[in-house]
Amino acid sequence: MQLNDIRLAWRLLLCDWRAGELGILVVAILIAVASMTSIGIFTNRVEMAMNDQTSRFLGADLILSASQSIDPAINTYADQLGLRQSDQLVFSSVLIANDQFQLSEVKAVDDQYPLAGTITIAKQSYADTQIVNQGPAKGTVWLSNRLLDRLQVKVGDRVELGQASLEVGAILINDPGQASSAMSIAPRLLMNLSDVAGTQVVQPGSRLKYRYLFSGPSSDRKTFANWLKPRLLPTQNLIGGKEGSPALNTAMDRATQYLSLASMLSVILAGIAIAMAANRYSTRHLDQSALLRCMGATQRTVISLYSWQLLIIGIIGSAFGCLVGYLAQQGLVLILADFIPGNLPTVSYAPFITGFLSGVITLIGFALPALLRLKSVPPLRVIRKEILPLPISSLFIYSLAVSAIILIMWIQSDELLLTVIVLSGIALCAFLMLLMTLLLIKLSQQLEPYLHGPWRSGLQQIIRHRRSNRLQILSLSMALMILLTIGLLRTDLLERWQTQLPDDAPNHFIVNIQPYEVEPLKEFLSVESVESTGLYPMVRARLTHINNIDVVEAVPDKAKLDQSLKRELNISWTDKIQQNNQVIKGQWWQPSTTPENLISVEEGIAKRLNINIGDQLSFKTADRVFTGEVSTIRSVQWDSFQPNFYFIFSPGSLDGYPMSYISSFYQPDNKKDVTYQMVRRFPGLTVIEVDVIMKQVRLILNQVTLAVEYVLLFVLLAGMVVLVASIQTTLDNRIQSAVVMRALGATKQYIRSIQIVEFGILGLLSGLLAIMATEIVAFFLYQEVFRLEPAFHPAFWALAMVSGALLVIITGIFFTRKVLRTPPLRLLKN
Amino acid sequence: MEIKSGESAAILGTSGSGKSTLLGLMAGLDTPTSGQVIIDQVALSTLDEDGLAVLRAEKSGFVFQSFHLLPNLTALENVMLPLELQGSRNAQQPATELLSRVGLAERLQHYPNQLSGGEQQRVAIARAFVTRPTIVFADEPTGNLDAETGRMIIELLFAMNRENNTTLIMVTHDESLASQCQRIFVLNNGVIQENAIE
Repeated sequence: MQLNDIRLAWRLLLCDWRAGELGILVVAILIAVASMTSIGIFTNRVEMAMNDQTSRFLGADLILSASQSIDPAINTYADQLGLRQSDQLVFSSVLIANDQFQLSEVKAVDDQYPLAGTITIAKQSYADTQIVNQGPAKGTVWLSNRLLDRLQVKVGDRVELGQASLEVGAILINDPGQASSAMSIAPRLLMNLSDVAGTQVVQPGSRLKYRYLFSGPSSDRKTFANWLKPRLLPTQNLIGGKEGSPALNTAMDRATQYLSLASMLSVILAGIAIAMAANRYSTRHLDQSALLRCMGATQRTVISLYSWQLLIIGIIGSAFGCLVGYLAQQGLVLILADFIPGNLPTVSYAPFITGFLSGVITLIGFALPALLRLKSVPPLRVIRKEILPLPISSLFIYSLAVSAIILIMWIQSDELLLTVIVLSGIALCAFLMLLMTLLLIKLSQQLEPYLHGPWRSGLQQIIRHRRSNRLQILSLSMALMILLTIGLLRTDLLERWQTQLPDDAPNHFIVNIQPYEVEPLKEFLSVESVESTGLYPMVRARLTHINNIDVVEAVPDKAKLDQSLKRELNISWTDKIQQNNQVIKGQWWQPSTTPENLISVEEGIAKRLNINIGDQLSFKTADRVFTGEVSTIRSVQWDSFQPNFYFIFSPGSLDGYPMSYISSFYQPDNKKDVTYQMVRRFPGLTVIEVDVIMKQVRLILNQVTLAVEYVLLFVLLAGMVVLVASIQTTLDNRIQSAVVMRALGATKQYIRSIQIVEFGILGLLSGLLAIMATEIVAFFLYQEVFRLEPAFHPAFWALAMVSGALLVIITGIFFTRKVLRTPPLRLLKN
Repeated sequence: MEIKSGESAAILGTSGSGKSTLLGLMAGLDTPTSGQVIIDQVALSTLDEDGLAVLRAEKSGFVFQSFHLLPNLTALENVMLPLELQGSRNAQQPATELLSRVGLAERLQHYPNQLSGGEQQRVAIARAFVTRPTIVFADEPTGNLDAETGRMIIELLFAMNRENNTTLIMVTHDESLASQCQRIFVLNNGVIQENAIE
């Protein structure tokens, strides 16, 4: 019997399809699934690529770094899991050759190194590089170019390291897990771990870093990491996998979350369209259902027929959605081609399953109640048309829809709490916008007495259909709002950023300037007529106490993980306040009469760490501690590209501490050779080319926002489907009244004018609501996230309302074309 | 009232007299608040919704005033539908035969909106007889048709009724139509009365 039901369901479905009854349902499903799938596949692929990239970068999937050798039980467990392992020892030591001494960073590696990625070496200076998969053989070392230069040795010479004499086997160009920070660039050396003992440089009390590398399949890695994390000592640190490059991962996580949220919104909007279309479908099938019952179909048969139909629509719509999603995702890859690390791995099947399931769940969640109604159509309706089935309880309808959405978000994000929070956020936003919609409709109602002709009739149409119009305006404005916000941020932010930066904004930073290099460097810069922002002294120190309370205890809870507490900060001193800095609290010290140990604090960090004027701050550098009192809070324009500091001391406070200098300067592209000369002359300096990084940042920002807009098109499409679905629910009604009006002598032109007015007002209101919401969102984003002066965007208001109106007019006229095409006679006859 | 197998009976009454409701009750489309409907010794009140559905599937055919053809199905598909609902895998042949019998052999693939009112009602008649029911219920079968077409439809209905030896129960307000039935019941102010045929 079930088979028979499926066959019959399929046949009836085909008939409905031919009659165009299913278009909206299928399109809505398709959009929801395409949106989920494309974003799912894309983020999945980028995530895999980034994990892979991180592993290559680190030389392994996971690295356990420790200040002492680790418990052998850890290695045993990794062995049991079948993880590949490699050990490293990192230390600083003096290298001797040709009577030259040079401190260098030594990395001793075993024969398994690297577990991932490759090492790049060269056999002679400036010769072609070659890529190898293993470190130096026993008895040989590989030196970085700088080290070769300083020691004036070449490949084949010998160098002394402690008690051992080792042969220079190659020039080390690049190897995985290189310097972790650009600031600590001692020339590097790679050696074989088995040679370390012979050097006798490693003694009890030596400052050593042990690194243990692990690689293996991701599930085993995860098991290992989960097992290891609670066993880590305070001196041990596990990096790699998701923890590998935290900044990048956080950005990626945020982007993923944002994109999933957008895809979720398109699912919700598609769900609304589905609910509307299903309602219309069910209303139009009341007679069919009554007839089937009359012909002897049991309720079970009726429900089975319609459920199978629903499932078939769901499967077909979702399958096509997956296909469209895959293609759309390829488009996304093209847009972001420059930004995506390396070659993307092949598509995994997981996002397809998620997308497909989501489609079917959305359809069931939003359409089932309407179809369940068909089951309870009394057969007597065949004789008495006025008999309607009992309405389905709205509690049931809403709870089913909400459960469907929660289920999908859960499948997608795996985090129930987050899901509920996000969903409540969306609901709150929708509720506020709904209130605004009601207000707007109410206001436009006031206009009615002043209008005539099509204007009046058009407005009356809106008021007549206000229930469905509310939903139309709401869905459209939410979709438009998201697009506008992104558009606004992209154009406005980039524009402001670009106009804010003077053309000669510094594009190079120089760090690691030693005190004895300050004067020669100044001279060099003036000879080459390079304009620098000045040389700023700095001491690297860690903030340890606020008012003599340990800093971790002293700061607010949410700041306990602040990056500034985890690393050494650059601390400077000066008598005059820097350009682009502004005192916002307190008074800047007077040059001559300044007492020592006053501190000026940047406002952002002051706010985060809850530092106020009068607080005592203690810092630790190497083994010394210094303390000062906060006397001013300062705003800093970070994007001015001059050296900026969180903490600035009054002059004289830090005399005698180990320090280096930092500077930045502007160098036009055509004078890059000056930079090379500088590096040759002062080999100890590190020059960072900001403009290259900036170009990259701009490109990324541009591409990412473009990609986001591209993805958001799905949201807009979903919003449009809601519009079309709701137009369709009123279509029969519209045809009827148009026919009557035409029979009474109204011209087609007149009826079209009414439609244009109606759809125009609808679009205008949606655009208005969208831009109002966008401005509010942008206000908070500017103020809280970007720290820019909030602005009002008149051009966007016009754009929003005009495009809203055009969008709705075009869509509306297209989908109501049947109204004017149907000859009055035929309808009256029917 | 009692109607024997193979008889044709008309229920006459003015608009709003309740004749359609009575037809609905007799066909098991609705349940009476009091009284009993018995078909082939089965009291309908003893059957649940599904029992009634099975009874309708096995024993009844329907012809309605407004035809009630499914607009998205062709004439042939409309006639096949009741058989398919019963799980028949070979619905096309009997449906085609019946459509030929009602004179629509050339119109099998037409949709209802491509057919005239008379043609639509003929499709409906074919659909009512395709399951070989023992009773056919007709609710104002000519109500939406002009006199000439109506006459032809009634002739067809009676002819089919004779050929298939079914019981025909027809609701109408047209006395001349009613007079063609073997028995006539008049429903007036809630009272049923059988009129003797003159």
